[in-house]
Formats: sequence, structure tokens, C-alpha cells
Amino acid sequence: MENKEFVFVTPEMDSKEILKKIRDSKEVFFTSTAMRDAGQSDYKNRLRIHDLLTLAPLYNEMGLFSAECHGGARWHVGIMNRKEDPFEEIRLLRANMPNVLLQTLVRETNLWGYRPYPKNIVEYAISRVDIDVWRCFSFLNDIRNMRTVAEIVMGKGKIFEPTISFTDADWATDNYYLKVVDEIISLCGSPKDIILAIKDMAGVGTTKRIGRLIDAIKQRYPDLIIQYHRHMTDGLALPAYLSAAMAGAKIFDVEEDSLVRFYGQPPILAVEAYFREAGIEVHLNRPLAEEAVLKVREWINSYDWAESPFRGFDHTVTYHRMPGGAFPSSFEQASKGNFLELMPAILKVMSLYNKIVHYFDVTPGSQITWVTCSGIVNRYAKEQGSAGIKNLIRLLEKFIYEKGQDFNAMDKEEQLELLGLFKNAPEDFKNLIMGQYGKLPDGWPADWVYMSTFGSEWEEKIKSRKEESPDENSKNEDLERLRWNLKDAIGRNPTDEEFVLYLMHPKDTIEFIEWRDKFGEAPLVLPTNVWRKGLKKPGDKVEFELWGKPYCIELVSIGAENDGVIHVVVLVNNKTKVYEVYTQKAKKVEKRMAKGPNDIASPVNGTVWRIGNPERGVLHVGDIVHKGEEIANVEAMKMENVVAAPFDGQIVEICVKLNELVQEGQLLFVIDRMVKDTRAEIPADS
Amino acid sequence: MERTIKKVLVANRGVPAVRIMHTCRDRKIATTAVYSTPDRLAHHVYMADTAVHIGDAPPAKSYLNMERIIDAAKKSKVDAIHPGWGFLSENPDFAQAVIDNGFIWIGPPPSAIKLLGDKIEAKKMAQRASVPVIPGISPVESIEDIKNWMKKENISYPIILKAVAGGGGKGMFRVDSEAELINAFNQTQSEAVKSFGDKRIMAEKYISHGRHIEVQVVADEAGNVVHLYERECTLQRRHQKIIEEAPSPSIDDDLRQEICFAAVRLMREVKYVSAGTVEFILDPPNRKFYFLEVNTRLQVEHGITELITGLDIVGIMIDIAMGKNLHIKQSDVRPNRWALEVRLNAENPRNFSPSFGRITRLLVPQGPGVRIASGVYEGADVPPYYDSLIMLVITAGVDRDDAIRVMDRALGRNLRVEGVQTLAPLLLAIIRHPAFKAGEFSTHFIETHMDELVATFRDRNSEDEVLKIAHYVAEVSALGPPSWI
Repeated sequence: MENKEFVFVTPEMDSKEILKKIRDSKEVFFTSTAMRDAGQSDYKNRLRIHDLLTLAPLYNEMGLFSAECHGGARWHVGIMNRKEDPFEEIRLLRANMPNVLLQTLVRETNLWGYRPYPKNIVEYAISRVDIDVWRCFSFLNDIRNMRTVAEIVMGKGKIFEPTISFTDADWATDNYYLKVVDEIISLCGSPKDIILAIKDMAGVGTTKRIGRLIDAIKQRYPDLIIQYHRHMTDGLALPAYLSAAMAGAKIFDVEEDSLVRFYGQPPILAVEAYFREAGIEVHLNRPLAEEAVLKVREWINSYDWAESPFRGFDHTVTYHRMPGGAFPSSFEQASKGNFLELMPAILKVMSLYNKIVHYFDVTPGSQITWVTCSGIVNRYAKEQGSAGIKNLIRLLEKFIYEKGQDFNAMDKEEQLELLGLFKNAPEDFKNLIMGQYGKLPDGWPADWVYMSTFGSEWEEKIKSRKEESPDENSKNEDLERLRWNLKDAIGRNPTDEEFVLYLMHPKDTIEFIEWRDKFGEAPLVLPTNVWRKGLKKPGDKVEFELWGKPYCIELVSIGAENDGVIHVVVLVNNKTKVYEVYTQKAKKVEKRMAKGPNDIASPVNGTVWRIGNPERGVLHVGDIVHKGEEIANVEAMKMENVVAAPFDGQIVEICVKLNELVQEGQLLFVIDRMVKDTRAEIPADS
Repeated sequence: MERTIKKVLVANRGVPAVRIMHTCRDRKIATTAVYSTPDRLAHHVYMADTAVHIGDAPPAKSYLNMERIIDAAKKSKVDAIHPGWGFLSENPDFAQAVIDNGFIWIGPPPSAIKLLGDKIEAKKMAQRASVPVIPGISPVESIEDIKNWMKKENISYPIILKAVAGGGGKGMFRVDSEAELINAFNQTQSEAVKSFGDKRIMAEKYISHGRHIEVQVVADEAGNVVHLYERECTLQRRHQKIIEEAPSPSIDDDLRQEICFAAVRLMREVKYVSAGTVEFILDPPNRKFYFLEVNTRLQVEHGITELITGLDIVGIMIDIAMGKNLHIKQSDVRPNRWALEVRLNAENPRNFSPSFGRITRLLVPQGPGVRIASGVYEGADVPPYYDSLIMLVITAGVDRDDAIRVMDRALGRNLRVEGVQTLAPLLLAIIRHPAFKAGEFSTHFIETHMDELVATFRDRNSEDEVLKIAHYVAEVSALGPPSWI
């Protein structure tokens, strides 16, 4: 079999041409989520580009519709934990699988971050990210929030894939979803210009339910290409996929069988075989897909540490609806916060909570649900122990199932208890019910929820609830100023890409940039076991290629800890190198470096032998200095270096002592810039 | 009168000390090194046959400490002392003390050092030898003196202020306007005291876009004076040379003859003995040159003259010190190469901030046409107390292009220094710059083109990057999986 013939769409092709080819084909197609959602759902987003790249040459010829390799959590965990830059990931993937369409997942105006961004930031960020397929969802199905992203992506000639968030609830009817699809079509123009995705992020669509929904949509929009994205959490993904395919869905999200655990997408080979048996033609070079499955086995065992502590399918997901992508991270947080034993109760409360407040459990909604519910359960556990949690669940069940959520039907004491439910709710929950994210899909929650959340202010709060979309009334932000903030923080000019990282996750980006400045490309070249644990015993080595040349790092010895310092001897290409490694016991003497605009730095490494100047003598805190005036002198190798005040101002801090040895760039002074006294500039005789 | 030299004390450290010891080895002359406390394991100490500790880190306590050095000479029973360059090399009192204590001074007589070391006297001597000089006033006591002189002789800015006793670029400040005069005056005076213990300063007309050309001269006790042709030392930063070449691309043969014989005339006039250098500034538009000063010592850049002439200047200095006559006549000196030298200083190449620390890796350039004069070895410390020069890289070729080509290879492919920063990226950027290649430059070349030069630095290379990776591997191997992973 010629591999080439399976490549049917490439990034160079026009987006309309790609859509037409799919629409006209008898076959169904696959999107591989191995590089994003598979890792997110079962491995806390820890799958490293180093390993994922081994799949790239296979994907390049496999005939996939696309590879989902990019998205908010992969990005965020990338800079925090894997120390990988999403831009460099894209470059590596482009270089290693140039035939494959790269796909991202964006949270409408939140893009890959956690807050709604104004139009100028959305535009700036999107135009710098080299992605072919833009899947875009709203956790409220508030399609108004997608406008800016839709305009920019479609304007760039890329494939826009608006997405409906799917859940199974009495209010989430076919008519409800059809209305959402109508809104999408009216936003995007024609059903022929987009792909519609159905995002079943928790994996709750039953065989019949999903078939019926897709059929309903296809009835109304026969030309619409539908992609079904589903997690396997309930254990029923395969029959649901077949049902969706029968109803006319065209593209399916899958991952390598060997990557599959419990909360991600269905296994590629199994889906292909199941579809083939049912008479549905699948566009896939199966031998290459089998090779990819084998390839994953070469490295997947080095990720057992990243898997969820709770394993196995969970059909009760149909109640609590925790999305696959949130499973491992929630358990990770519970385990870090020492409340892993409360997980069953939290899941139970979540299932009751989402009958009270209606939206979709996907970022950022899933985080709001998680933080709110785990907060409530933790509070009860602390105040009243396990009996309290039981009472809480009993109360909510009574309220929901017996009293049909009729607040007045509950007795006084129970009402008081309910009114205490959201009193410590997180800010994001408050923003949610205040309309900051957009309209809730099934209307605002009942008044008692506002009473519980805001206390006596509840009526005012309801009055000031926002009805318009955050996409419609956002004010542009000052990009230059934001860039300066980043420059001050890292002490150099950031690249455009670093700036985009910063716009999404300001604090984590600064740490990431500093980390990478120090350790370079370690996250890209080291195999996962070395990346995580290093070299264990003398003689252990790691070999890799860097920028086209072979390198080898071999461990010689690790010394004993002494005053918080361990000496590690390694051979770098057979040459000895000794590193001082500081443990937590090390006393850190950190030199303060000049960073901000009011910080005056030492121009050289040397000795501060004069603070002040011969005319004025020694300068002190509080002294006024003038632009160009010498304020200190640093001697290095018998050369004097004048430190002059860069502007008129007042000395707020002198950060060094006389005759102190300073580094280049070390902070010498902080000077408060003096606002010019304009009166002095008016000529005396006017 | 011929004298024997069987053992030499080299009153210096680093590159000059090692250089001198090389010739001593060639001549089977034993050597003694002197060292300060932080230099105990320095390269020059290793190179010498014996070594004597002469004091603590500050130069005044060690390499400028005459008494301790003379004691060391006595203790190690040497016949002669070579001062190298810098430190005490141009100190007539030291030269005198060496002689008074019965040692041979490998250098010019103290009287010549004293005479030529005084810039005012040197200028007078030049005028007497019909060598053109720059208009100036010396010494000046106050800024008023300077202003009066400028008025009287109709001099306009820029001018330059110098320590009368100065040299080596220290204690020199250019003044572009009256507003800068006060700061510059104070600073010159302060550095003059600090570096030379003499607060007298002088002012001169500043020749902008001038070129620094110097003539190497050797002279024996019998009065034979021979020049070894010129060197071009125009490329400077903060008045310190960083790239030199021989011959000079700025002058033709006629001007070359003129300038070289002017130097010989001056050295004859002062009855100079040993190796010395007469420095001129060339004003290219009108092809005029002016006398600047005489360096009464071996110079950093003597190596390029050695490469183009095939002579060993340190060897000649030793011969002369032994009372021998020059073994060459002027007509024997026939340069037949082009040579280029760069000063590899341990400094940040962007702002010249000195870089101290241990050299953890040193790969020295090799291959045809390369000569290295190193003051360090892999593992050596670069202490913060002394000059930042760690190595001279000198290349030679049949012509200028060829010498530049070899330098490009040496700096760009062969050299590697870890642990301290060096000027290598800047030096490489300069020799690759079209204006440098065309021989079009002035003393302002570096300041004029600095941004352009820095822009060509290759920010990262895989050799540096792999060390970051190794650092990470070392950390994670010692500490186990990081909490954030």
C-alpha cells in the first residue's frame, strides 16, 4: 500500500477545499488527540513533546484529518511542569509532520487562559499561533462569545470549528442544541464553511441520545460536517461512536490503543475495526496506525507516575459529569490537599450541584464546579466531620428530588442550611452567576442561590447581573504597557511569543522564561526517565542530538551534602564538568538585580568605591539628584566607571555599601522619578 | 662590556610573564616567577623554574612592591630582571633599584624611562629631533589653565586630558564640550593618583578620527638604532587597544619610511637603549602624523612585529642587556608577512564589564598561521585585581585578507573559554565587519559600530546550551524528581 495516497488534506490547502473533500467523501476520518487530550485526560498533561514526536513521522503519512496538539491546559502545564513552550512544540511538529493539519482548542474569548481577553489581545495572540484547525467552545454555549475568534480565524483562511458543549440533562434537549447550532450558523455564514464539533467532554452521550442529536442536526443542515469528540469515562464510547457515524458524523477523535486508559478518547484501531465491520469506510492507513500503537509502548511506561490514582471507568460520571480532562488534575489536587478520601463525597455533591446551577462542566466551568463543590465538602468535613457531609448530601437530595427545588417547601432550619451553602463560594462562581462569562444556557439560578452567595446584597447583585456577552463590551488593553511589565520582570526584551505566553499566564510565564534561560533545552532533548529522575549511578549516561550534533552526558559521581551544597561530577562529551547543586538547606545570598525603570544598575563588575561625587560628597537616602549627575563610581581593573542619574529624582534606597564588590546589573540605587514642576518653566516675566 | 645572564626574574604575571619565560627557555636561561597570594597557582608560576611569593592581592602589595621583588631576586639568585609590560615596567625608580642592587635591568636605562615617561619632556625631545607634535599644555593645575590655553592657541573642542605620568589608556579622558570639563578633570586627576601616584595632568588637542601608528625600535649600547617597522593600533575601546596589526593598512611606503625614520631620529636623540616604541597619531585626511609618546618597554603587541620580521624582540632585549651589539642592521629587517593580533580580555563583550572566576574549560585555537600567547590554563582563576587580558591570539598570512581569514577560523571555530566571558564575540564581529576588512576605521570604530557589532553576536551555541542541559541533569540526579514536575 502506498502511504502517500492516504494524505488527503495538507496545511497548504485552502480551507474550503479541505472541507469540500471531507464532505464529498464516502469515508469517515480521524483526529488524533494523542498530542493533547489523551495526555490531558489520563496523564495530567505530562506527555512530553520528546516522546510525542516519535509519532510524527507516522502521522505524516497516516491519513489523519488532523492532530490535536494544542490547547489551554497543555499550554499551561507545558510552561509550568513540562517546561515546554507551545510555540516551539508547533515548530517541531511542523518540521516532523508537515502533511498534518494541527489543531488547537480555544475557550472562546478566554483563548488558552482563564479570563476573557479584549479584542486586541485575541487578535494579537491568534495571529501569532500557527494552527490550521481552531476548535472553539463555550462552557455556556454562549455563541456570542465566539464572534471575535470566528472573525479572526476565518479571516485568516484557517478552519474554524465551533463547538457545542454537550451534556445529558433534562434541560439539554435536541431543540436546545438546534437553537445553539442555528446561532453558530448565523455567526459563521454558511454550514459549508465550518466543521461543527460536539464536545462530549465527560463521556455521557448514550448511544441513542447522541445518534438522535446528530440526526436532528443533519436533518436541518445536511451540508454541515460534524465531528464528534467524546471521552470514554462511562465505558460506552464505542457504541456511541458507531451510532454517531450512522447518523452522519464525519470525523471522530481517537488516540492510540496503547495510550488509552479510562478518561480519554476511544482507541484508534478498535474504532476502525468496529466501524469497518459495521460497513462504515474509514480513511486510515491502518498498518501505520498499528506502528504508532507500538511506538507508544516504547515510552508510555515512563508516565505511570502521572496517571490518576483512581483508575477504571466510572459510569456515575453521568451524574457528577466531571470531564475527562479534569479527572487526573482533580485527583492530583485532592491528593496534594490531603483530602483524597473526600473524593466520593465531592463527586456526589457535584452531581447535585449541577442540578441547581446549569452550565457545562468544561473549562472554566469544570474548575468552578470543582472549586465550589470541593470547597463546600471540605468545609463540612472540617466543621462537622463525615456525619456533616452525609447530612449535607441528604439535605440536597431532599431539596432536589423530594421538593423539586422548591425553596419554600423546605423547613426553616433546612432553608438556613441551604443559605449557608455558597457563602464561601469562590470569586469565579460569583462572576459566573453575575453573567461575567456570558449567559447561562438554561437561565439564571434561583434567587436563593444569590441570597446564599451574596447575603443581604443579593437583590442589588441580581439587578447588576450582565446580560450582554463579554466579547461585546470588552475594552482593548494597552499592549505596550503589558510588554513593558514583562520586560521589567525578565530584565530583557521579550520575544513576541514570550509576550503571548505572558498574556495568557503572566506569573507562570515569568518563571518559565527564567527557568529556560537557566536550563535551556533540557526538556526537549532528555528522555523522560532522565528528565524526571536524572542519572542514577556512576557510568549512567544520556545521549542526544542538539542542533545537529551528538552529545553525551555521563554521571561520574554525586558528592555528599555539605552546607546545603552537593557537588555533582559529570562528563559532557567525555570532558569533566563539576556542578554545585544547592539543596533546600543552602543559604541563599541572592544579589538584587536592577529591573524596573527606577532601578539604577552597576555598569560593570567591580567595587563601589564612591557613593556620591566629589562636589557634593556622600549621597544619602532622601537626597535629590539631577539627570547626568554622578551618583556613584564603580572601579574595575583600575578603571573608573561613573554611575550617573538617568533622570531627576529622589534617592529612595541605596542598595550597596561602600567598597562592596558588585556584579554588572546589580541594583545600586532606587530613585523616584521627580515629576517636573511645571511652574518653574513659566518665564518669570510673563 | 659583556655580562652573563643565567637566571632571570620576571617581575610580572599573566601573558607578559609567560611570554618572557618562553624566550628564556629557548635561550636555556632559568627563570624565577613572582606571585601574589591569589596567583599562587597561576600559569606563569607553573612556567617558571622557581617562584617567590611577594605579597597580597592588591598590586601595591605585590607586583608594584619593589622591595619585595628585589628581595625575591636576591633570594632566588638571579642575574637579571625583566619587568614585562604594565606594573613596574616604566618605573625609573624600580629600574634604578634593580641596578643598584647589582642586577641587570632588561630594559632601557632609568634615565631614558624617566625622560620619556614625562610627557612634557618627551614632547620637547621630539621637537628637538624634528618630530611633529600635537598642540597641548602641560601640566595644568586647574580648568582655568585649560580654558586660557585654548583661547590663546585658538584650540577648539574636542580636547583630551591625560595623566602626565600615565600610559596604557588609564587616566585619559576626552572632553567634547566645556560642560564636560569639570567631571573629566576630576576623574583624570583621581585616576592619575590612583594608577600612577602622580596627580599632574596635561591637556592636548584631540585629533578626531585619528589613527594610532607606532614604530618598534631596538637600540644597543653602542648607539645602533634599528626600527622594526610600524604597527597599526587604531582599534581601541576606552583608549585601550584591542586589535593590532602590522604593517599598517593606513599608510603607503613613503609615509612608512618617513614615520619609521622619525622614530629612529627621536630614539637616537635620547640615546635610547633596548626595545621601545614610538607612538604617533596619524591624521589621515592630510597625511600628517604627530608624536604621541614613547613606551619604554616591551609592548603587548610586539608579537605581530615578531611574526612579520621573524625576530624575537625579548631575545634582542636580553642580548642588549648582556651588552651585546644588535645582530641586525636596518637593511636586514625585511617584513614579509601580514600579522593580526586580538586581545582576548576576560570581559563582557557587550559592555566590557570585567569577568572574573575560574576558567573551567579552555580550548586553544590551533592550525596553520596561528600564534597564541596565553597567561592562563584550563582551571586557572582570573582574579579581579589585575588586567583582564588572558590571551593574545595572533595570526599571520601572506597579506591582510589572509591574516584576517586565519583569525576568523581561530576565533570562530577553535577557541572555547568557559567559566569567564571573553571579548571573542566582539573581536570576531570586528574582523568580519566590511569597514574593518576594507581598512577603513578610526579610534571610534567600536563606539560607532557597537550596536551593529553586538547584533552579529551569535547569542547561543550548542556548546553553551549543552552545559545548561548538563546542569539540569546534575540537579535532578542529585535532588531527585522536582516537586513541580
